[in-house]
Amino acid sequence: MSARRRLHRYGLGAVRAIAAAAFSFPLYWMLVTATGPRGAAYRFPPRILPGLDFHSFVTVIDGSNWARYMLNSTFITATTIVLVLFTSALAGWALVALPLGLRGAVFIVLLGTMLLPEQALIIPQYVVNFHLHLLNTYAVMIVPFAATSSSIFLFRQYFATMPAEWRDAARVEGLGNLRYLWRVAFPAAKPVVFTVILLTFIASWNQFQWPLIMTQNPSIAPIELALNQYQSAYEASQRLINAVSLLALLPIVAVFAVAQRHIVGAVGGLDTGVEG
Amino acid sequence: MTTLDAPRPVSALVGAEPRSVPDRLRRLVRPFAGYLFVFPALGVLVVFYYVPALLLFVISFFHYHLGGAGSSFAGLDNFRVLFAQPLFWKSLVVTGYYVLVMVPATLVISLALAMLVRDAARHSKRKRGGLSQALIFLPHVTPLVATSLVWVYILNPQYGVMNYVLRAFVSNPPGWLESTGYSMPSIEIYSLWHSVGFYMVLFLAGLASIPDRLLEAARVEGVRGFAAFRRVVFPLLTPSVYLVTVLATVNTMQAFSQIYTLTGGAHGEAGGPAYSTTTDALLIYQTAFFYNHFSLAATMSLMLFVLLVLLTVVQRWGFSKLVFYR
Repeated sequence: MSARRRLHRYGLGAVRAIAAAAFSFPLYWMLVTATGPRGAAYRFPPRILPGLDFHSFVTVIDGSNWARYMLNSTFITATTIVLVLFTSALAGWALVALPLGLRGAVFIVLLGTMLLPEQALIIPQYVVNFHLHLLNTYAVMIVPFAATSSSIFLFRQYFATMPAEWRDAARVEGLGNLRYLWRVAFPAAKPVVFTVILLTFIASWNQFQWPLIMTQNPSIAPIELALNQYQSAYEASQRLINAVSLLALLPIVAVFAVAQRHIVGAVGGLDTGVEG
Repeated sequence: MTTLDAPRPVSALVGAEPRSVPDRLRRLVRPFAGYLFVFPALGVLVVFYYVPALLLFVISFFHYHLGGAGSSFAGLDNFRVLFAQPLFWKSLVVTGYYVLVMVPATLVISLALAMLVRDAARHSKRKRGGLSQALIFLPHVTPLVATSLVWVYILNPQYGVMNYVLRAFVSNPPGWLESTGYSMPSIEIYSLWHSVGFYMVLFLAGLASIPDRLLEAARVEGVRGFAAFRRVVFPLLTPSVYLVTVLATVNTMQAFSQIYTLTGGAHGEAGGPAYSTTTDALLIYQTAFFYNHFSLAATMSLMLFVLLVLLTVVQRWGFSKLVFYR
């Protein structure tokens, strides 16, 4: 390997490492701040290594309702995932395999919400939720997200590639449509199921603007909303705010660490990631 | 056609026997059986997305009060009031400033990162970007409030680490989120941090679709380095450039949570200081939920809707001249 090529290789590697470090820094800084001693967040020069002081976590979990908010987010997220899988698999299956009058029109209606800008809809959505008596309930953070165009599309695409012989064989065996869907097609669509779970998890766990507008009751607040209120509370210090931020972040990072490749593929391959 | 021992369901199907009422009903309903399966998803999407989309048009032309009581037809009144509001025009300027910085910056940074991750992977033995690609992407999936708050701390003019570092170079570092001049750049820095990893992945997919033999051919012809990028890679990448431009525009036009949190929404200061970060999305929120003016907020939402459609059409038209499809 020539000197020039080697320089090129190590130079690029170094630049890439610096970029990765720069992007990770804010998350690292959360950890440093949350685990440092009291008052360290306001002192110079700043500590640059994380401490071993986990009292901040004990303080916020004991002193406030953070266990409750974590539980709220977990409940909302888990319920939404189950419902999305159910509605999207059913719809995707109908689009592929069932007699469906006006199939083309139904397809367009099911996928068309991807084109609706979410910020433009939030006011009339509030009005609809008001009339349905959904404001200030867990349901308002779950039901409107219980079906998504992208999940329906993913299931439809996957089911369309499954061999028709399977279905014919199942029909001979006397397996009805519904049972075939849940016993054969759904388990066979494992990659899509996995993708839908990950995308729904990220969107649901991270939701903030929607509960900010649609709910007032602090006892049903998901973690991001509670975090927003907490930072303006008088007892909140940088150390405690960052401890709570870490609680909100940790499940995402944990799932990302396990399913990193799949998440990058799922989010990047979809082209529908509108930020809230 | 029918044989004597044909099973009953088949003969019923071909119509050999006189049909009972349930049979007829079944034949009538059969083409729509799929609707039972579609119904849950369709119901959710219609009630929570299509009905609101229609309602948006209705409310914009009414003096609307939540619940509907006392509402009356307004004609174009809401539009007249809206256009007379200096803050509405100001929010469009602020949003425009945000979008006009974000979209080009997103394109340049995410493409540069994609090239970096890809080239570095190519020069090392591993096939993919691996850890650094993951670390650059990770911010995109992090919750906006939690990560905005640590940025508020980092950018704090007094005890933030950003100015601690900057003080080594300049005597008077900026006030970031607390100054009118630097508040929007602060938000842009955060938003770029949060989103470029996502666009980088889109560019990586585009880069992966360029056949190696084309780059090889360019190399043989003596086209290397930046010339190869400009004359071979970039023209083949224009579909990705188009995609990233459209998505970045739509996403930045609709940014809310990070602006709300970074500018102190919890203290009732969202959009500040001095309205320097009051984008369209923030103004819609404040109009509806601070000033309780639903019609005006809906009218603004409708304008945003129209603006987004127009922008998408213009971008499609502009790129139809530029995009090189193979």
